[in-house]
Amino acid sequence: MSELWDGLREALRLIATGDRELFAIAGRTLLVSGTATALAMFVGVPLGYLLGRARFPARTLILATVSTGMGMPPVVAGLVIWLLLVRSGPFGGLELIYTKQAMIIAQFVIATPLVIAFTAASIQALPPRLPDLLRVLGAGRLRTLWLLSREAHLGLLAAVMAGFGAVVSEVGASLAVGGNLAGDTRVLTTAIVTETSRADTERAIAYGLVLLAMAFAIVAVLTVVQQRQPR
Amino acid sequence: MAVAVAVAVACGGGAGTGEGGLGGTMILATTTSTYDSGLLDELVPIFEAETGVTVKVIAVGTGAALRMGSDGNADALLVHAPEAEAEFVASGHLVSGRLIMTNDFVLVGPADDPAGASIAADLPAALAAIAARGRFVSRGDDSGTHKKELALWASAGIDSAAVAREETGQGMGATLNVADQRNAYTLTDRATYLALRDVLDLVVVVEGDAALLNVYHAYVVSPERHRGVKSAQAGAFVAFLTEARTQALIGQFRAEEFGRPLFTPAATKMTSSGGGG
Amino acid sequence: MDARLEELSFAYGERTVLDVPSLDFALGRVTALLGPNGSGKSTLLRLLAALEQPQAGRVLIGGEDARMARSSVAYAFQEAVFVSGSLRANLDLALRLRGLAAPERESRLAEAAEACGVAELLERPASRLSGGEAQRANLARTLALRAPLTLLDEPLAGFDEPGRQTLLEELPALLRRFATTTIVVTHDRDEALRLADDVVVLRAGRVSAAGSKRAVFAAPPDPDTAAFLGYTLLRTDLGLVGVAPGALRPGPGDFTVELCVEEVIDLVTKVELVGTVAGQRLAVSVDRSLPAPGDRVTLGAPASATVQFSTRSRR
Repeated sequence: MSELWDGLREALRLIATGDRELFAIAGRTLLVSGTATALAMFVGVPLGYLLGRARFPARTLILATVSTGMGMPPVVAGLVIWLLLVRSGPFGGLELIYTKQAMIIAQFVIATPLVIAFTAASIQALPPRLPDLLRVLGAGRLRTLWLLSREAHLGLLAAVMAGFGAVVSEVGASLAVGGNLAGDTRVLTTAIVTETSRADTERAIAYGLVLLAMAFAIVAVLTVVQQRQPR
Repeated sequence: MAVAVAVAVACGGGAGTGEGGLGGTMILATTTSTYDSGLLDELVPIFEAETGVTVKVIAVGTGAALRMGSDGNADALLVHAPEAEAEFVASGHLVSGRLIMTNDFVLVGPADDPAGASIAADLPAALAAIAARGRFVSRGDDSGTHKKELALWASAGIDSAAVAREETGQGMGATLNVADQRNAYTLTDRATYLALRDVLDLVVVVEGDAALLNVYHAYVVSPERHRGVKSAQAGAFVAFLTEARTQALIGQFRAEEFGRPLFTPAATKMTSSGGGG
Repeated sequence: MDARLEELSFAYGERTVLDVPSLDFALGRVTALLGPNGSGKSTLLRLLAALEQPQAGRVLIGGEDARMARSSVAYAFQEAVFVSGSLRANLDLALRLRGLAAPERESRLAEAAEACGVAELLERPASRLSGGEAQRANLARTLALRAPLTLLDEPLAGFDEPGRQTLLEELPALLRRFATTTIVVTHDRDEALRLADDVVVLRAGRVSAAGSKRAVFAAPPDPDTAAFLGYTLLRTDLGLVGVAPGALRPGPGDFTVELCVEEVIDLVTKVELVGTVAGQRLAVSVDRSLPAPGDRVTLGAPASATVQFSTRSRR
């Protein structure tokens, strides 16, 4: 128990003194997971929008597939991407294995189903006559997409949070495709693995605290925006 | 997926040219225990600065490292499982093998030594004592340490499956942690133990037996068997490890800290052109 | 702008919803689209607004296909839908999507809000409007567009009684002021009579009557349409006769029947006699209650209020 308190104290000291390695890793985490989430939004929101609005025979099937993608363990996604990017794999020639780019790809694959599903749900939850209204008022395709997104913005916010939260906290895929290289592909989660295995508990706790703080900040933003709505 | 890959490739898949001129990137597969000792953190930057090569050090179990080599997913290997290595050398996947250094394994256990391993006559007797009266934690991850542990049980005539063993499936540091928490015995390389000695309650109970010697070799993955292997960079790295200057660094690594070196340089003792130690 | 349907056929899957060989909505007039629930009225409006496409036939607005003429059509749904934001923001959006500049939007918005009685609600979040307020706001948004063709789907739905009456009285003037050609969907014939110049009766997807309200109401083409328009249908020796609503009163007339009173229902300001005429049930409102259950009362109606139906000829 005293070990835990020592660890906490040391962790806070590392954070307060601006420990370079800690902040480098934290910054890298934001870069990788932030980029992956942004890409996931870029691809996932339009797809989720289509899935939420259009009606076509295969729609239910696709929705089920996407939802399954959400439930897939991230480490499985990591394994698949590793097999694809490793030198003996089909994309080995691109030399992407053990790079930040590979981690972004893996996290993108993990986050996108979440974004699609959340977006589709939030579009479906809109008043059913709203798209008709916009069409009748003369809004073009892009305008309609913008207005509906604005109406569904809480749902889209939830999509961002879900996507980011999932990838910033996952370790299996990041470890497999990133290789946890110090100074290059080491992020908060994989650093915790390393520090734990080296029994450097204080550092591990420090990384854990920063990770928790990141997750909390995300949720806090969403909650504030949510509560601010006079709807 | 295509969008992400396009962005990734556009951002550059990572080759660098430095002042050394050779440049390029290579993947070095090594064991977690080697990596955890911190030796590569000291040696790799020197190599990178001199040659401009970027070395990606991937630490996995020995078995996994050897498989990476045989699949062509790594360029160079630094491993310590001579029997297993010999197979891959024989099948032609690993070439240009050089003996780099040695250290030894030690049996560690709780300070009060409930099984009486430290007073046993020899290593097999100690193992028998542990099997009878103690708990044992194993790496269980197909690593060099794990293979050594299984070999030791075998040569002591003890069926390892019959022993009360827990397998962590993880690296040496994590395994030592578990053993520490469980008041159990485990086999560890001395380097990792020394590095973690301060945070563990475990002590050395058996050491020095010839069977406990741990031999490290470095290899280049055969460019003939696998297209895409960075044989130039890998060869340069293996050569670097055997250089006198590097060997001296290995011999001094953390010697002050622990009162004795973690590794014994061995490249000048025997040259090995591809066979085992 | 006028509107026209030609050879129109629309179906949802297997079910034919509309089958209209030809229908015209005259320029500058208010037409009530009257029919029971499920007759296809709302679908017809959706086709005019190009929200649906017919499987066969054409929908023409001002001579052009409806899909090209979207900007000429203003459509108020039966249930008001708004985007998030104030009522002002909603009205502004509608006007902005028509390409109007800010000063023009501002004045039109204020004018329509004032006219429809929602000027005080402009700053309120549109989602917070009550049923009646939302309907008036919906109306304001639609009328502010001053479109060549205005479509109103049950504009008086969702009001409680006094509110409904009030708007019913205001609506004709509002339509004259803001709208050019208007089509109002309603299931209530009183609303139809008050609001419209022309009436189209739609039943089961087909037009059963179309023309000026006078022509349609005075001469329904078949017994079912007559019944829908409120006619009392009686089987007599002359055949099936329809009597206009309210035309049968106690006393003499060109057409008389005898009512056997069974029940007298006191409705305070009037009295309802319920009984049978030659075996058919009938109810009629009278001013005073002289008759009592068991009495026989003669009811008469002028010839102009009767229509003769038979299998062989039609009037």
